[in-house]
Amino acid sequence: MLTVASYSRAQLGARLAERGIHLQTGAFVTCVKSEVASVADGISLLYADYPVLEQAEFADFHISLHQAGGVRRWFRPQVRLDCDGISPFQPLPVAQAFPMFEWTLNWCVSSNAHRYLCIHAAVVEKNGYAVILPAPPGSGKSTLCAALVSKGWRLLSDELTLVRLGSGELVPLVRPISLKNASIDIIRRYAPSSVFSPVVDDTSKGSIAHLKAPADSVARAGQCARPAWVIFPKYAAGASAQLEPIAPARAFMRLAKNAFNYSLLGSAGFAALGDVIDASLSYEFTYSALDDAIDIFSRLTPPGQ
Amino acid sequence: MWRLIHGQTLQQRRWGDETVLYNDLSGDTHLLGETAICLLHALQVSAHDEAALVALVCARLQVGADDTAAHETALLLASLSELSLIERCAC
Repeated sequence: MLTVASYSRAQLGARLAERGIHLQTGAFVTCVKSEVASVADGISLLYADYPVLEQAEFADFHISLHQAGGVRRWFRPQVRLDCDGISPFQPLPVAQAFPMFEWTLNWCVSSNAHRYLCIHAAVVEKNGYAVILPAPPGSGKSTLCAALVSKGWRLLSDELTLVRLGSGELVPLVRPISLKNASIDIIRRYAPSSVFSPVVDDTSKGSIAHLKAPADSVARAGQCARPAWVIFPKYAAGASAQLEPIAPARAFMRLAKNAFNYSLLGSAGFAALGDVIDASLSYEFTYSALDDAIDIFSRLTPPGQ
Repeated sequence: MWRLIHGQTLQQRRWGDETVLYNDLSGDTHLLGETAICLLHALQVSAHDEAALVALVCARLQVGADDTAAHETALLLASLSELSLIERCAC
């Protein structure tokens, strides 16, 4: 199987700048074109294990990131984005090109993949049981997700939980984990062997770095998982780790608010979300120390046991 | 008289004494208690006058059909009407 690692950095850069590559991330194929060096650097570093479809005739999404022309490029170089003929984001400083690529991939899926219920939540799995971690920015979702993954949980997604309509299966969308601000150094210390992209400062979300997904999670990107827990994490400085049960109907309403396309899917979205809650135990989780959080997660009892 | 609005299928999931219900007409999802669901199920079968609904609620809650029960039932019916789940009818 051809992967990104099959190309040298020079070959990858040339290919991205000319024909582009068809990059497979889970159920999706994205045609990526860019001559911007930091995009090629990021893909080379963080997507090394991902399949590239050499003879692909079809791509779900077509993303181009190109450095903007004109006089500005000599003073404040910017990168422009085109995604299937749409520019969902304003041009950004060229230093933010790789985060922009990541945000665009998220946007493509959350805006288009309506054969799934798409929830803004991380999802990890161990022993066949998946934990869905929905939470607003600042709740520590990605930090917790990164810590769990560093301790052997399989990454399905840091950002988008995809529930297959009809079956209720969770479909992996394994991609780099986006960490912000203080979380970057926290995970650097917690998981020293982790591979990070360079930190990009001054984005709209603060300082951003992306953590490489484990090769095993990438290799198992075709294996769906069953939901077992819905856990709403909340980081609170100094707090002891604590799980508090949430009534299922309340969890349903909260999860619905975190879904991108719940309203669009109508009754199919209602049924899919109901299946997730039916299959899961729901909790509020407050934590501050990652070791304590990992310990609690390791002792979660699956539903029905 | 009250009746369920045509097109509402009352797709719902119930956990304990709480139910989430999909509103087929608005696309919204509502978190409802047992009494509201009791009323909706009765109106799904057929239209009822308000007195019959008060009696139904009181029987369900095992309380006397006094003015308070009638007032609370009327408020609940009004709320369900605002959500476009039920409507008054002349039938």
